[in-house]
Amino acid sequence: MEEQEKDATSVWQGPTGRRTDEWSECLTLIAANEDRAGFTRLFRHFAPLVKAFALSGSSLSATHADELVQEVMLKVWQKARAFDPEKAAASTWVYTIARNCRTDMFRRLQKFDTPLAADDFTPDQEPSEPFAMLQSRRSRDKIHALMGTLPPDQAQILAKVYMEGKSHAEAAAELDLPLGTVKSRVRLAIQKLQIQIDR
Amino acid sequence: MAKFHPNLDLLTEYVAGILPLAQSACVSAHLNYCPQCQQQTARLQDLGAVLFDSMTPVPVGDAMLDAVLARLDEEPPLSYRRVDDLSLGRTPALLQRLMRGDFSELTWKKVTSSLRISYLKTGDPSYEFALYHIKAGGKIPEHNHRGSEMTLVLQGGFSDAAGSYHEGDFIYREASDVHAPTALQSEDCICLAVLDAPLKFTGWKYRWMNPFLQLQAG
Repeated sequence: MEEQEKDATSVWQGPTGRRTDEWSECLTLIAANEDRAGFTRLFRHFAPLVKAFALSGSSLSATHADELVQEVMLKVWQKARAFDPEKAAASTWVYTIARNCRTDMFRRLQKFDTPLAADDFTPDQEPSEPFAMLQSRRSRDKIHALMGTLPPDQAQILAKVYMEGKSHAEAAAELDLPLGTVKSRVRLAIQKLQIQIDR
Repeated sequence: MAKFHPNLDLLTEYVAGILPLAQSACVSAHLNYCPQCQQQTARLQDLGAVLFDSMTPVPVGDAMLDAVLARLDEEPPLSYRRVDDLSLGRTPALLQRLMRGDFSELTWKKVTSSLRISYLKTGDPSYEFALYHIKAGGKIPEHNHRGSEMTLVLQGGFSDAAGSYHEGDFIYREASDVHAPTALQSEDCICLAVLDAPLKFTGWKYRWMNPFLQLQAG
């Protein structure tokens, strides 16, 4: 992970000169001043989301879910300096940490003997387009707006895959659907949300 | 730039963190060669974040907050810093970690006169994760797969009936596709192959080897 020191006063201006969201600002302050009050605010907002994420799909016991919440929030504090508001929105960043911690926890519980942690799977060079953040915000706004137009069966599958952490095959078994149907629903949803890039 | 990519299904499972570890490592390695797929995964990640944001929060008590606050002064765990000069196209850091050295320092097992294999340990109990070294112009005997096969070209290139693949190209085959890859004439080819079942040679000359091709998972 890149752990660059940032100039605390200037970091949360995006390339547009526009401020990013409240939580990005909060994270930036945590990184700069070890701001515990800020962290407490951030905790109150994100910990309940992380807990919802941990419990969804009921693959984790209540104890493990609580352990995950602690682990994720502690990591948010420890890694705050690696947060770059030009690259990601705070919630995308927190989501990524939660996802990685959960993946690691699954592997730990399955007693995988691996030298790799989920963080290691981040590509060496992340997208460096100058407007990555702007693009990401636009795509998030658009996804958010279009989410309501998804047929319930497609929205359900997305939640299974992303939030419950079920593979397409597991989702198919659970919903008693052919694997092909699950895959095509995911693809259709992605098309509707307009996140497929042009190749 | 890479011309063959993981399909959307694989990229979605990769982003959601549910692709098996060994396959996930292979997709991640491809991303190092492919800005397009990085862009696609960034968008898929945005989707994950939107779904995450719109979950119904589950209350977390103050005891948990206090527990975390009490731990803030803990020493953070060691994190491996990434090498700085990793540019697009270099052997991905993740693979370097698994290899603990470069290609020449690995233990290569000779399979045929032009094919050598080196098995890497990922810890994934269901998948074999191996590097294939094919001599320039050399051929891998015709084979099919009893399971799925992910291939990523790391160096040089190879071709089969379906196309010609170069550095960074990613190929995913389901069970039973028969092919006989041949390395390009110009240089040796090194590929990463991730399998969930051993290869099965189909030609009479190599069929006797099949019983010896055990999956080296782990």
